[in-house]
Formats: sequence, C-alpha cells, structure tokens
Amino acid sequence: MFLELKQIKKSFGTGQSRVQVLKGIDLTLEKGEFCVMLGPSGSGKSTLLNIIGGIDQADEGEILIGGDRMADMDEKQLTLYRRRHLGYIFQMYNLIPNLTVRENIEVGAYLGTDPLPVEELLDTLGLTEHQNKLPNQLSGGQQQRTAIGRAIVKNPDILLCDEPTGALDYNTSKEILKLIETVNQKYGNTVILVTHNDALKDMATRVVKLRDGGIRKNYLNETRILAQDLDW
Amino acid sequence: MKNPLYKRLLRELKSEFGKYLVIFLLMTLTIGEISGFLVADESMIKAYNDSFTLYNVEDGNFALQTKADSALKQQLEALDITIYDLFYTDRILSNDSTLRIFQNREQVNLACVMEGRLASKPGEIAIDRMYADNNQLKVGDTISDGSNTWTITGLAALSDYSTMFESNSDSMFDAVKFGVAMVCPEEFSEFESNSLVYSYAWKYNDAPAGEKEEMERSQQLMKEINSLSPLKKFVPRYLNQAIQFTGEDMGSDRAMMTVLLYILIAILAFVFGITINSTIVKEANVIGTLRASGYTKRELIRHYMAMPLIVTLISALIGNIMGYTFFKNFNAGMYYGSYSLPTYVTIWSPQAFLETTLVPILLMLVITWLMLRRKLSLSPIKFLRRDLRSGRQHHAFRLKSSIPVFSRFRIRVFLQNSGSYLLMLVGILFANLLLMFGLIFPSILDHYQETITDNLLCNYQYLLEVPVELMAGDDSPETLLRMLAYVSQVQTDNEDAEEFSAYSLKTLSKGAYKGEEVLLYGIVDDSHYITLESDDNEVCISKAYADKFHLAKGDTITLKEQYDDKTYTFPIGGIYDYEGALAIFMPKSLLNHTFGLSDGYFSGYFSDTEITDIEEQYIATVIDLDALTKISRQLNVSMGGMMILVDAISVIMFLILIYLLAKIVIEKNAQAISMTKILGYENKEISRLYLLPTSIVVVTLLLLSLPLETAVMKYLFERIVMTELSGWIPIYFDPMMYVKMILLGIGAYVVVAVLEYRRIRRVPMEEALKNVE
Repeated sequence: MFLELKQIKKSFGTGQSRVQVLKGIDLTLEKGEFCVMLGPSGSGKSTLLNIIGGIDQADEGEILIGGDRMADMDEKQLTLYRRRHLGYIFQMYNLIPNLTVRENIEVGAYLGTDPLPVEELLDTLGLTEHQNKLPNQLSGGQQQRTAIGRAIVKNPDILLCDEPTGALDYNTSKEILKLIETVNQKYGNTVILVTHNDALKDMATRVVKLRDGGIRKNYLNETRILAQDLDW
Repeated sequence: MKNPLYKRLLRELKSEFGKYLVIFLLMTLTIGEISGFLVADESMIKAYNDSFTLYNVEDGNFALQTKADSALKQQLEALDITIYDLFYTDRILSNDSTLRIFQNREQVNLACVMEGRLASKPGEIAIDRMYADNNQLKVGDTISDGSNTWTITGLAALSDYSTMFESNSDSMFDAVKFGVAMVCPEEFSEFESNSLVYSYAWKYNDAPAGEKEEMERSQQLMKEINSLSPLKKFVPRYLNQAIQFTGEDMGSDRAMMTVLLYILIAILAFVFGITINSTIVKEANVIGTLRASGYTKRELIRHYMAMPLIVTLISALIGNIMGYTFFKNFNAGMYYGSYSLPTYVTIWSPQAFLETTLVPILLMLVITWLMLRRKLSLSPIKFLRRDLRSGRQHHAFRLKSSIPVFSRFRIRVFLQNSGSYLLMLVGILFANLLLMFGLIFPSILDHYQETITDNLLCNYQYLLEVPVELMAGDDSPETLLRMLAYVSQVQTDNEDAEEFSAYSLKTLSKGAYKGEEVLLYGIVDDSHYITLESDDNEVCISKAYADKFHLAKGDTITLKEQYDDKTYTFPIGGIYDYEGALAIFMPKSLLNHTFGLSDGYFSGYFSDTEITDIEEQYIATVIDLDALTKISRQLNVSMGGMMILVDAISVIMFLILIYLLAKIVIEKNAQAISMTKILGYENKEISRLYLLPTSIVVVTLLLLSLPLETAVMKYLFERIVMTELSGWIPIYFDPMMYVKMILLGIGAYVVVAVLEYRRIRRVPMEEALKNVE
C-alpha cells in the first residue's frame, strides 16, 4: 500500500463547543489510484485532506506514506515531504497575482527534483497561448488550469484536490476534471479529490463517502466512466 | 533553477513605485547626508591632525610683559625648547570687529593660503578665510582700523587659530567679531611698540611622551619662564582652545549623527515590516498554497525580505556616492563656516562605509527577518483559512451597541491598525523631536540674549592685567612696591567704578565633561552692584552655575587650580541671579584670604559707565553685553542655517512616515472599502470611516507626544551643553514653538489626508468581487 490512515481523529474548539470532526478514519490507497472523497459540508473531508497533506495535524491516529510515519516528522521534514510528494489544488486557485501563467507554473517546477517540461505541460493544459498573461486576465477555468499546472509540474506522488470545480460552471468543471484525469493517467500520480458533487464518484477508481466524521462507504468503482461522460 | 518568485520583485516595484520611491528617497538622503558628514568629518580631522606637522604647530605660547632680549632668549632656549617670535597687535576695525595681526610666518604655526597670496609689501594684508566669509570680505577689498588701510591679497587659515578664540578663557569663539591676519615684516615693524603683545611660541626640543608628561613639563616650564621674566600669558597647546576645540568638536558630533541614522533606518525597517505584514495578509491564500506545496518558511522569508534589502542596498550605494560628492561638500562647508581649517583631501573612510552601508543593511535585515519570522511561523492551514492571528484565538472586542455605528466602525479600524498606529507614534516622536530641535534652537538663543541683557552685573566689567608676581602672594618689600606701582596705574576717577578681586579656578572633570574655567569674584562690602545674601564664610554661585550642575543652597562645590591639582571646597550660601557665566561670588576679604592675596589686592572694576582713564595695556578683558552674548551670536552663525535644514528634514520625514502608514490602513481595507461602495456609501462617508481614525490618531499623538518630546529635549540639551559648551545656556520652551509644531504637523497631515482621500476614491468596486470566499 502507498498511503495508509489508521484511526485518524480530529476535534476543533474547546470545552462545550468542542466538535469532533474526524472520529477515527481508516483508509488505505494504492499508488496511482484516483480517489473521490464525497460528503456534505462539515463531514470532515477537507480536514482529512489537510491532514494527509501535512498542513494540519490529527489529534490521534497514524498516517503512513510509502512506509514513513508522518507523526515522526518535524516541521522541516513535513515541508520536505510536501515539497517532494504533494501537489495541491484548491477551489480558489490562489495564484500569485503578479506572476504570469508560465511563471506561476515555474513556481511549482522550482520545488521538484525532476519537474515535467513546462512547455509540454502548458500544451497539455491548453495554456500555451495564455502563458504570458497575468491571473487577472484569465477566466476562472484558465486560472484553475494554471493552478493544476503549478501543482503537477513537479510530478508529485499525490495530488490533493480540494473542491477544484467548486467555483466553476458546468462546462469548465468538466474541462478541469478531464485534465485531472489525464494527469492521473499520464503521470500515474495518486489523486485524492474532495467534493460534495456526488456525480464525480463515477470517474473514481475508489470512492470514499464521509458523514459526521466517519467513513460511511469505501469501495472500488468497478464501473468507472471518463470525465467527459459525466453529467450532473 | 532560480526561484521564480524573484520575478515578482520588479513588478512589485512597479506597482508600488510611490511607496518604494519615498522610502528610497528618505533613506538615500539620510545615508547621503550621514555618509557625507562622516567623510567630511574624517577628512577634515585628518587634515586638522596632519596640520600639526605640516604647518609646524607650536607646543604652546606665552606672552611676556616686555620684549625678550637675546640674553633672555638664550636663557629660555636653555630650558630645552625652541622659541619663535609671534608678536601681534589687536586692531579694532571700522566694522567693529577685532583683527589680530601677525607678521607673515615662516617657521612655526604656518598658514595655509586658500585664495590669493600672502602680503608682500606694506598696505597689503592676508586675512583669515572664515573671518572674511563672515564679514563679507574678499580678495581685493580694503579694511581699515582708522589709521591704517590694507588691501586684502589673500585668504588663509592660520594653523594656531582653527577656532577663533580671542582669549583662551573665552567660553565661546567668535568668528564674526574676531579674526586673524598677517602682514609683511616691513608693515609689521611700523606698528607702535606699545600696541604689541610680545607673544612667543615654543616647541620642545624633544617632544613629551604623553599627555601627563606634557602637562608636567608645561607646568615646570611656566614656573621657569616666570622666574626669568614675568609672564603675561601662558598657554600650552593642549589647553589652547584656539587649536584644540576644533578637533574635540569634530570628533564629538559623529556619535550623534550615526545614532540618528540608525534610529531612522530602524523606523523604516518597521515601516517595511508593517507593509510586508499587510502584503502577507493580502496574499495569505497564496502563501498557504505555497507552503502547502512545499515552499519552506525560509524561502518565503527570503522572498519578502528581498525588496526592503534591495531598496536599502541601492539607497546605501547611491547615498554613499552622494555622500562622497554633494553631501561631503555641504558638510565640509558647514565646518568651514565654524572653523578656520586648512584645505583637505577627501579620504576613503572604511568606517563611514561600514556605518552607512553595512549597518543599515544589517539593521534592516534583522528587523524585517524578526517580523517575518513571527508572521510566517503560522501553519499553512492558517494561511489558507486566512486566520493570521498568532497565539490564542482572540474574541472580537465587545463594543456597546449604544455607541453610534460609525464610531464603532472607526474603533474597529483603530483596533485593526493598532500596530501601524504604534509605529506612527514612534515616527511622530522621532520626527517631532527633530522638528523641536530645529525650532527650539533659535528661540533658546534669543531668550538667552534677552535674559543676559536683563540681568547684567553691570554694564562693564574690567578685568585688569595683573602682574604675575603679585599673584604669588608673598609679602616681600619688593612685591609690596610692585603692588603699589600696579595700583597707581589702575586707579580710576570714574565714580561708578567699584573694585573687585577675581581668581580663576577650574571645575572638576567627570566622564565626558572635561571641566571648565570658573571666575570667582571677591565683592567689596556694601557693593552697589552685587548684594550677597550668604554668610561670610560661604559663597554665592551664579544661577547659570546652579542650573548647569543642579546645585542648591546648602550644597558644597569643589574646584581646582587651573595648572595644578590643589582643590578648594566652598559651601554654597545662595544662588545669585546671573545667567551670564559660571561664576562664584564671595566677600573680597574671603577671596583674597583664600588665595593668599594681600588685603588691598583687587583685579577688576564693575562699572555702569565706560572707564576711560586706565591705559589699555592694563586692561586684560572687558566683559560687556557684546562679550556675554558672543556665545549665542556664534552659535547662531555656526548652526542657524543648519536648523532650517533640520526643520525641513523633520517635516519631510513626518510626511513620508504618515503617508506610508496611512496608505497601509487604506490598502488593508481596500476590499471592505470597495464593498461599502457597492452598498452605496459615498466617498465622504467612507473617508469618515477609514480616514478619520488615522486623523484622530495623528492629532492625538501630535498633542500627546509633546510632553515626552519636551522631557527628552531637556535631557539631550543639558547633556549637549554640559559636554560641548563651556558656560551655560538655559533651555527655554517658547509656547509659540509648540503652536508651530502642531500647525506644521497638522499641515503635513492634511497633505497626506488629501492623497489618501484620492486613494479611497480610486478603489474600484470590482475589488470586492475579486476574492470572494
């Protein structure tokens, strides 16, 4: 197994206002899997993603990545872990406003030991003609494609996507999903995509459904369809 | 691969050009001025130090009652010294100033001719360059003392008169009403012999090893010369203010200037810190994403530190270039305005470079690094959630709903920007302190002049030329005869004249304070001029003395002899209201008895009218209003121009700091301002929300900082007067100065407020829609 989560628990707040967001999550993912994590607001899916990403810490439990225990890592090692293994895509693209498309992608490439060729990636993302534009000159879809480019250019082992289509319209959302799918197939990264859009489960190899801080369903999707055929 | 984030820097510079430009200008000009000052200072100190050898400066000088004949000279030179004639005559010129005229020098205390040439024939004269400047004289002009007229052929600096002290006991030099000059030997020989002072310079045949040995040898020499021929004056070089003052003064300004630079750089570093903080808040999501992607804290700190450091580096480099060119000349000009220094060669000063380049960069680096390290130590998730408060979660400050909504809104803006406002306080304090320094200076001098005029002891104090042997205090018949002869020469028929005896002692040195001369007056019983309220064995000290050393009735003071270590302690019986000098008043009998002088001894007259029946040669000094106000006059000449510059710099600094900080407040709230516009608020209403808190803070800080600035100024002024000046000038806070400070502060803020109002008007409504979460 590539990623293993054992009894992950996480609470927020103190005293009476304390809320347990994750109540003991167990999850195992293999390399190259495309996992869609579903759940309503407040189910704990983003918190779980952040814990996997090493930017938030679990109160209890253990995470193993490629055999390494995340709990043993200090802040420096965690940064190194993210630098080497993770790519992040958020709902709000979080691009650097005064860098061009190409330069935003280069910001990601800088972190990788063996980054993907930027030209090729721009082409894959359909951004070649926009590469010298600043983020405020782009549409939402183009901005998210740039954010994807920045996340995958260092060819990370795991690509974490937090509601990547949450701010986009139907067509643009499909475009972005197709892109993430292509990346997964072309480069073999493990993808964890968090969404509340139930329709996206069909493009996953594994579906994890969360509710009230626990996993309600966790199964391999035998009837996977391509992103372009999704409908909602 | 180079970090692609660096590509942002140039764009950041372009988009925030105004901000970086004002910081750059402020920093460059400050570094330029300080660097120029340090370079000029160091170059001039070197020129000054080199002048001792280059111009063969004396080891000391003395004056005899009569001209030394060759036999006496041989006896003198047998004391292991070489003697040089340095006769002079003091002439009152038609412009009411005193010109001390020497013969052209060829062996000792040589002159540096700075323009024109030395006098080569009768009717020609070369005068001191600074005296010429201060009296608007130039080569080719003529000057006259009523009986002689000379044409100026050259402007020079005399190596033994780098500071224009007419007498070594003067509390301040006077470069306006006193100057030195040289004529050719033929011209000099025409001066009547009774107008000449038989002054001689000496140089030791083998120079003393250190200060202590020099002191011992000079004291020994004084006694030996005096035993050969009565001394009229004896000034070893280390005590000669005309030679030493320049070197001491030039060295002492350094520390103050460098500290000023560091304070300013620290303030600018904090300004940078606050602007970076607001950028971090603005870019929290991006930072969170970068950190989540694996960017290290150090990489981000380096990135955000780059711009302040680049600006500081460029400012330091350009500032230093300006320092070595324009500002060096400007500062050298200021020295040339106060001191008569020879020409100098600019020297490369590694220390100045270090102090104006490396230290500012280090200061900027450390302060911004500490601020960034604190800010960026938050976890990536906090950045992503835009939760940038470190430590425990703070609850919103509760405000009563009875407070009007606009007021509550403003309180929130105030709380949100408390960091900026705190820095504003420091900036206002610093800029206002500078402004106060610039404004207070002329008012102190004016006030001093008025006080002196109002409380003169009398209109004229005559200090008589007392033969040295009379001071020895022996009762031999020979001394008594001399005393009688002296008394007959200095008798006056002026009915206003009242005898007093005088004696000079020195205060004890302490730390940076080197001690100074104090004149002790022995007052006759039932004096017309001074009423002593102390007991017979006590002394009264002048108010200036009491203020300078914080002394009161009941304290005791200890003073020492000028040329040996013998000390005297006196109980203070009262404070005499006299600001003119550090002086001690006691009954004449007590003074004469204390110093072993005969009962009938006196050495001066108080008089309200001029005494005209004593020959000039018997009068050593006349202390009148002109002499007492010399200190304030000279300070006005030396520093008056600089004060206007200080005022201008402080107002500019005030403007820039308030501008930068007010800008941050608006920028931080750009999105909210945009939102209020969408809601339908007018620009005027928005200004009341976002600009008024800053206006209230600025005005409040301007008012609140005044007492603090007053206290700091009082402390600094006392320190400066204590260590830099002989005598005392009381500090005076003119109420009009406060009015000017407040008006200048508010005036400067109005300019900023107009700019910020324009900024508010320019915030687009789309701003609120850009980053909706």
